[in-house]
Amino acid sequence: MQEDVIREIIEEEREARELRRRMADWEFINKQPPRIREALKYYIEKDDMRLAAKLAGLNIEEFRELLRKARIPVVV
Amino acid sequence: MRREFAIADTCFLIDWSRYRRRDVLFRLFRTVFVPENVLNEVKSENVITWISEGLRSDRLTLYTPVSDEVEEARELIEESRLHSQLPSMDLPEALCLVIGRRRGYIVLTENRAALLAPKLLNRYRNVEVWRALEVLLNAIRYNIIEPDCSNPRKVFDEYCHDTLHIFPSKALNEAIREVEELCRRT
Repeated sequence: MQEDVIREIIEEEREARELRRRMADWEFINKQPPRIREALKYYIEKDDMRLAAKLAGLNIEEFRELLRKARIPVVV
Repeated sequence: MRREFAIADTCFLIDWSRYRRRDVLFRLFRTVFVPENVLNEVKSENVITWISEGLRSDRLTLYTPVSDEVEEARELIEESRLHSQLPSMDLPEALCLVIGRRRGYIVLTENRAALLAPKLLNRYRNVEVWRALEVLLNAIRYNIIEPDCSNPRKVFDEYCHDTLHIFPSKALNEAIREVEELCRRT
C-alpha cells in the first residue's frame, strides 16, 4: 500500500519537474542576477518555494510573482 | 451541503485570490481560518484586499495557534524529515495540518508535503487536505459552480489560466471524469 503511494509520489514529482523545466522561460531566467537565477533553478528542481524565496531574498508572495514572470508553473 | 470550517496556508491564498471566482470558497465553507503567521506572509494589495474583505464580512477568521499546536507542528516537521519521499515542510504548512488534525478542519494548501502527509504519516491519515483542484471539484459537487458540460475541463482550465498553476494529469483527469459523470446524471 505505502509502496504504491511512494511510487505515485515519485511519478508525480517527475511529471511536475518536467513541466517546470519545459514551460520555464529560460531566456528570462538566464538574464536574472545570480541570486534570483539560482533561486529559480532551485525551485524548478526541488519544488520548495519557501527555501527558493529565501535564496532569492524575496518574500513568498514576491517569489510566486517571479515564478509567473519566468513562466514556471506551480504543479500541485 | 456546505462544509463548516477550513484552514488555509499562504500558498493556497496567494493563488486562490487571483482566481476569477475566488468567492466560491466562502460559499463552500462557513468559515475559513487564516493562521496569524500566514497573515504575516501576505504583502500584495490584491491578496491583502481580498483577505481583509473576507475578515470584514466574517467569512475569514484569524486563527491564533496555541503553543501546544506549534510544538506538535515542530514534531511533525521532524517526522516529515524522516521520510525521504516527502518534500520539505515548513512551520506554516505543518501548523495547518496540526490544526486540521486536532479540530477536524479541512486543510487548504498548495504545498506538496502537506498534501502527501496524510498518505505517509499515520497520525495525520484522517486529515482532509484539499488543494484548489479539490475545492473546485467540491464546488461543482455542491452546485456552487455550474460546470460547462460541453467542456468539462473548463473550470479547471480557468483556474490554471488565472494563476499559472497546473494540476497533475492523473488527478486532473479523475476530476474531469467526475464532472462528466455529474453532467450525464443531470
